[in-house]
Amino acid sequence: MKLKSLFTSSFFLKSIFIASLFILIFISTFLYKHSIGLIDSAELLVHTHKVHLELEQLNSALKDVEINQTGYFISRDTIFLKSFRESREKVAKSIHTLNSLVDDNLTQRNNLDSLQKLITLRYNILFENSINLTDSIPMNARRFNKSLVEGKIVMTTIRDQINKMIDLEKIYMVERQERYDNETFFTPFYSMMLLLFSLLVFVFSYFKINKDLESFKKSNDILTIATESMKHAEEIGGFSSWQWDVDSNTFTYSDNQYRLLGVEPQSFVPSMEAFIKFVHPEDRHIITNGEDHVVNHQRPNAAFFRIIRNDGNIRYFRSMGVFLNNAEGHKILIGINNDVTEEYLISKSLEDRNHELEKSNRELASFNHVASHDLQEPLRKIQTFISRIYEKEVEGLSPTGKEYFDKIQAAANRMRILIDDLLLFSRTNKVEKAFEAADLNQLLESAKQELAQAIEEKNATIKSDFLPTIHAIPFQIQQLFINLIGNSLKYNKPDIAPVIKIECEIIRAADYAILNKNTNEAFYKISVSDNGMGFEQKYSEAIFTLFHRLHNNSDYPGTGIGLSICKKIVENHHGRIMAESIPGIGSTFSIFFPIK
Amino acid sequence: MQNEIIRVMLADDDEDDRLFFKDAFEEIKIKTDVSTLNNGIELMNFLTQPDIALPHVLFLDLNMPGKTGLDCLKEIKGIDRLKDIAIAIYSTSASEEDIEETFVKGANIYIKKPHDFLALKKILEDVITLNWQYHTSGLNRDNFLLSL
Amino acid sequence: MKLYLKFDINAVCKKVLQEQLDNLDLNYSIQGFGEVEINNSPSNEMLKTLNENLNRYGISVVESHKSVLVQKIKDAIVEMVYSDEKLSNAKTSVYLAEKIGQSYGYISNLFSDVTYTSIANFIILQKIERAKQLILTNELTITEIAWKLSYSSVAHFSNQFKNATGLTPSAFQRIIDKRKNMQQKNA
Repeated sequence: MKLKSLFTSSFFLKSIFIASLFILIFISTFLYKHSIGLIDSAELLVHTHKVHLELEQLNSALKDVEINQTGYFISRDTIFLKSFRESREKVAKSIHTLNSLVDDNLTQRNNLDSLQKLITLRYNILFENSINLTDSIPMNARRFNKSLVEGKIVMTTIRDQINKMIDLEKIYMVERQERYDNETFFTPFYSMMLLLFSLLVFVFSYFKINKDLESFKKSNDILTIATESMKHAEEIGGFSSWQWDVDSNTFTYSDNQYRLLGVEPQSFVPSMEAFIKFVHPEDRHIITNGEDHVVNHQRPNAAFFRIIRNDGNIRYFRSMGVFLNNAEGHKILIGINNDVTEEYLISKSLEDRNHELEKSNRELASFNHVASHDLQEPLRKIQTFISRIYEKEVEGLSPTGKEYFDKIQAAANRMRILIDDLLLFSRTNKVEKAFEAADLNQLLESAKQELAQAIEEKNATIKSDFLPTIHAIPFQIQQLFINLIGNSLKYNKPDIAPVIKIECEIIRAADYAILNKNTNEAFYKISVSDNGMGFEQKYSEAIFTLFHRLHNNSDYPGTGIGLSICKKIVENHHGRIMAESIPGIGSTFSIFFPIK
Repeated sequence: MQNEIIRVMLADDDEDDRLFFKDAFEEIKIKTDVSTLNNGIELMNFLTQPDIALPHVLFLDLNMPGKTGLDCLKEIKGIDRLKDIAIAIYSTSASEEDIEETFVKGANIYIKKPHDFLALKKILEDVITLNWQYHTSGLNRDNFLLSL
Repeated sequence: MKLYLKFDINAVCKKVLQEQLDNLDLNYSIQGFGEVEINNSPSNEMLKTLNENLNRYGISVVESHKSVLVQKIKDAIVEMVYSDEKLSNAKTSVYLAEKIGQSYGYISNLFSDVTYTSIANFIILQKIERAKQLILTNELTITEIAWKLSYSSVAHFSNQFKNATGLTPSAFQRIIDKRKNMQQKNA
């Protein structure tokens, strides 16, 4: 992935371009150098040949001179003299040419100087030999021979000198030939390289451009499709998009923005003034606030306002915007308007219904409380007067009379227990009680003290973990503990001392189905377990219903309200309670409190 | 104990409850002087008179029209002269928190009106006896708390 | 001659009493048979003289012997409860009998007659009183208090406390703490 992005980054491209440029320049430089070198070496080679040739010509000219001299010496014919002079001129010309040729080479210049001296010497001898000696009739043969021999010696030296120079040129030639060969190799080589590299660059560029073009085309297609689907999405989803170029104060509305305002698309020129006309007068300040934010280059807050369409229809809009910079560097606010009228109305009606329900609940709870409370008074009077009559008049009663009285008392007692329980239950409903930080350890301690008599009588053991402090209504939690532990004490296995354990751990909501939340919220799980007689697991939910009992009143007195009070208390605290039990082994009640 | 007659007073707007109260005390063997009043205003008017023999124990119903039992309690606790009276709230049942609240506000005793006459006699007897103990044994009246 | 007499013993005693008391200029009221309330506080000298005078008539001043004794019993019990020695319940009877110098049976009957309550109840009353004081100091836990007062368990202590006062020790503590807070706020 990284490599790909590397390829497409413009920085990479730029560096490749610069590198290629440098390589091209580099290669061209080489090529140029070698081309010049080729020309130079060719020239030098030619030069060497020229010198060589000239030297050979000189040699030949000098030979001619010798021959002509010899011919003249032999024949004394002036024709030879003429040729002799011509040859000598040739020689002089050669020397002259050679002079200019070897001007660049010190060694050869020196050689040539020596040669020239030698030739001059030879000619002097020659002068002596020919003009002087040939013109005197008795030829001094001896001197003539001597000068001939001298001349020959000089000539040999001249020849040697020339040969030396030729050899030198030969050496040069080898060197220069080598160099020439070199250059003839490298020059086309570099040309080839240059050509190939240029070709490479061209090919690469072509592919790159082609690829980019394709991807631009593709992006363009995607963009076109996106824009199209956006338009449709806006229509279906009931939202619209708009743009505000803050610097040039121009607005652009999507088609749906017009439709949401209840007009035809593009039916007016979008502007702040035109928009405000649609906004509900009471909400206009929200728009102008947002405008202020934007003008000060602050991101505007999400806005919620009403618009009134031309037909009087009121719609509820939610609006949000973010800033972007466009290609010209203008700050553009990109905004979305969402027509949330349906949602708003639905949620409002739900809210209203909730309020109604809550009110109705409160009234019911209040009624329950007042009813149970007010019913107590007359019942108490009935029972007290009955007990007074009984006490005073029991002697005078017939057995039937006594029996009836007993029945009245029994019935009144049952009624009293029922009302007491209803009152207890209704009190648990009073959730206006203040929540505060409640130390569960203290509340457990208080509960144990309230149950002190039963604990002592049954020789019970109660063990507990260190419990947390939670946000709760202390008296209700105390009642919760009293009810649960009281049950464990009441329903113990006959003749077996109750052992009650209270444990606490932290659990995640998602792990317990009863919590019905698929979240990672943390809860305290407080378990009250005992070694009592237990109950069948199938009743584990029923026991929490109001007045539900699993035993006879005669066996185990009670009204069945204790656990429903526990459930109410736990629900007041946004928690849950559940029961698990095995008959004959024991029961565990688990309470879940959210950790706030 | 019998050298002194114990003065007992009840403020309750219910005539049946006043009847029960008086009858119960008649049947208790402790010598008492029982008086009843019909509401809180009468009570405070009585107590604020100078030079009257104050009751040893005052029983207060909570639900009285006009001045409620709690109003009277607050007023009494504010009058220095009346601070030695043992105050017993005599009322229909309330929640544990409410009972504790009355203690916090200065009541010494809380009695839930019983449903049985015999029980009433026993309760009143215990209250008077215990109060007498406090009176004669120099115990700290501030710690005198009894809930029945 | 033989005279037949009828005696009203009460009237005779009363008369003798009145005379003797009047002689000493004492301000008195006769409460009932065998009890006289002296309204001012006579000196011991005077009491002694009175006793001597009455003795000649076969009447002696029993120096509220019972109430004094009862007071002694009460004091002994208070001392026992508030000491740091832990006496088991069995030993209290022995302790008291020794302290008072009478048999336990006699002591307990006397106490019940005078105070209308039993020694056992009084002991409990005093223990609970001490418990209340200890709770108020806020220095000991309920468990420590139970141990200090020789209860076999916290449950036993809570039970007795609740029976005596109708409140659990922690409820009592709560109430007193809240009272203190209220007083501080109003102060």
